[in-house]
Amino acid sequence: MAALPKRIIKETERLAKEPVPGISAVPHEDNLRYFDVSIHGPQTSPYEGRDGTVKHTHVHLSNVHVGGIFKLELFLPDDYPMTPPKIRFLTKIYHPNIDKLGRICLDVLKSNWSPALQIRTILLSIQALLGAPNPDDPLAPDVAKRWKEDQEGAIATAKEWTRTHAMT
Amino acid sequence: MPPAGHRPLDPSLPPSTEVDNDDRAPYTPGSSSSLSSSSLYKHLRTPSTSSLNIRHPVDLRAITYDGAVDENLVCPICRCPLVDPVLTECDHIFCRACITDALSNTKLCPIDRSPLDSDGVSRAPKMVHNQLDSLKAKCPCCASSFARSMLENHVEKYCPEANVKCPGIYSEKYCKEVVKRRMSGRGCLHYPVECPDCKETLLLVEMEEHREASCNEKLKACEHCGVNILRCKESEHHEECPDVIRPCNWAEYGCQHEAKRTDLHLHADECSFKLVGPMADTLKKEIKLLRSDMRSLAETNHLQERRIKFLESAQRASDRPMELMDLSLANLPESANTEPLDSGHEYLLSLLESQQSRLSQLSNELTDFQGKNTMMLLNETIPIKNELSELRSTQQVTCMHVRWLMRFRMQENQRRFGGSPGPGPSGSPDGGGSSSDLPFSRRLSDSAPRDIITKL
Ligand SMILES: [Zn+2]
Ligand SMILES: [Zn+2]
Ligand SMILES: [Zn+2]
Ligand SMILES: [Zn+2]
Ligand SMILES: [Zn+2]
Ligand SMILES: [Zn+2]
Ligand SMILES: [Zn+2]
Repeated sequence: MAALPKRIIKETERLAKEPVPGISAVPHEDNLRYFDVSIHGPQTSPYEGRDGTVKHTHVHLSNVHVGGIFKLELFLPDDYPMTPPKIRFLTKIYHPNIDKLGRICLDVLKSNWSPALQIRTILLSIQALLGAPNPDDPLAPDVAKRWKEDQEGAIATAKEWTRTHAMT
Repeated sequence: MPPAGHRPLDPSLPPSTEVDNDDRAPYTPGSSSSLSSSSLYKHLRTPSTSSLNIRHPVDLRAITYDGAVDENLVCPICRCPLVDPVLTECDHIFCRACITDALSNTKLCPIDRSPLDSDGVSRAPKMVHNQLDSLKAKCPCCASSFARSMLENHVEKYCPEANVKCPGIYSEKYCKEVVKRRMSGRGCLHYPVECPDCKETLLLVEMEEHREASCNEKLKACEHCGVNILRCKESEHHEECPDVIRPCNWAEYGCQHEAKRTDLHLHADECSFKLVGPMADTLKKEIKLLRSDMRSLAETNHLQERRIKFLESAQRASDRPMELMDLSLANLPESANTEPLDSGHEYLLSLLESQQSRLSQLSNELTDFQGKNTMMLLNETIPIKNELSELRSTQQVTCMHVRWLMRFRMQENQRRFGGSPGPGPSGSPDGGGSSSDLPFSRRLSDSAPRDIITKL
């Protein structure tokens, strides 16, 4: 295997030194292009994993995050950063832009990728996507349909899924 | 066999048989490895070291920079300080290689996504290049810091830890291996020797590292302090080992006391030489100083003696030509010689005076000579000038003749062809005649030849 490009080393170092709040990305020891990622569900979103009645001030009382934590896998292809990283949700999630296999519909991961983007910016975009689902550009049509027709019901399901899958 | 284009062999290089066979002493243990092998090769002189240099392209993205690099000098694509920076139409800056690579995928600026292709990319301003060139970075081989632009030169020509060709490439052995530059002065080290510690056989070039790192027998307990030390660094350790028996500081002035290095300070207070010792030391230093002063004084003295001798001989040599030239002033040194001179100083002064008068005499003569020369030159040139004016008048006469002949010829032609109607020339003979104040030469050189040409 070719030597790891300086850019990947630098990104990894920075992710460890100045982590993005609510996001962690750790490379595998045996394959430094493969990352274990976890993203905390954004506050006030259905993926936060808490009851809406609970005050948010409690969330940061301890260092341990008690809300929904979503696991993802991230792989940097050989021609990264010329091609985007490959990212997939491992935790089951009820979201109109994420399908059953965990694939994500996000323009910056496909046509709108730019080599100036980084792992951290991409993960931030995914976190933002959790806070703002976009049923008009769906990847999971059934979820998107329900999201449009019965938003309250869909959000309830999303909360339910978060509790069962993202809080163990 | 060496290749056709190789450098001529250094004549001081011994025949390779000497290196290869008989003369190769077995690797001797003891002392430090560098010492024993340098003495092995002291008779060897390698070809000029620059001929061993290897091209060493330095990957500017793989090196470590000193301190944090200004974010504005970092490429947004490779996240390294820019390499060969270019500026886009939309005022974004990238490495040339990075943006070329990116544009081969999408024709958009990676930062603002405005349409962009390779024509919209030009070399970044000189200032950016200068800033990047002066960034300090660590040498990938020896880890010392240099300006980034100097790194490649350093690695290629000077870095002690960088690889160079084995000097054996210029011997008949034609060794094609590489060695670290700091080891290249010892001839080809690519032959097997036995490690003095573990008896394993390996190349001499690897021995230093082997004995310091991978050798199974590299460590031994110091015979004095019992601490585990590297065998090859034993003598270095003994220089600082706390348990080595050392003589008293004032041993050279007569103290017989000996103690472990750590305990020596206990003796310092009770040593009977503790008062005499420092004094003797200062005296020794002073004597050394005086000796060196004396030596430099002797040298100065010697130099001055030589100078006086030189001046004397110069004086003797200068007396003779003056007599020959029979100058009135030439007898000055003579008269000076008749006076008893008690000091060399006065003598030199008189010498100087006589030389000065000779000099002025010479410059006078030179002026005379110049005057004579000028006269001679004038005398020579006047006849030439006369001759020249004579020639000029002859030429004018000839010109007149030619002109007369031409006109005569033209009139004859006109008569013969019944006055052909040439536009200008038909009236020219009379017109030319009327403007007779024009010099002949001009009439001839200007219009006459042209007239002839148009006529013929
Ligand atoms: Zn770059
Ligand atoms: Zn741009
Ligand atoms: Zn170096
Ligand atoms: Zn060699
Ligand atoms: Zn050994
Ligand atoms: Zn010791
Ligand atoms: Zn003593």
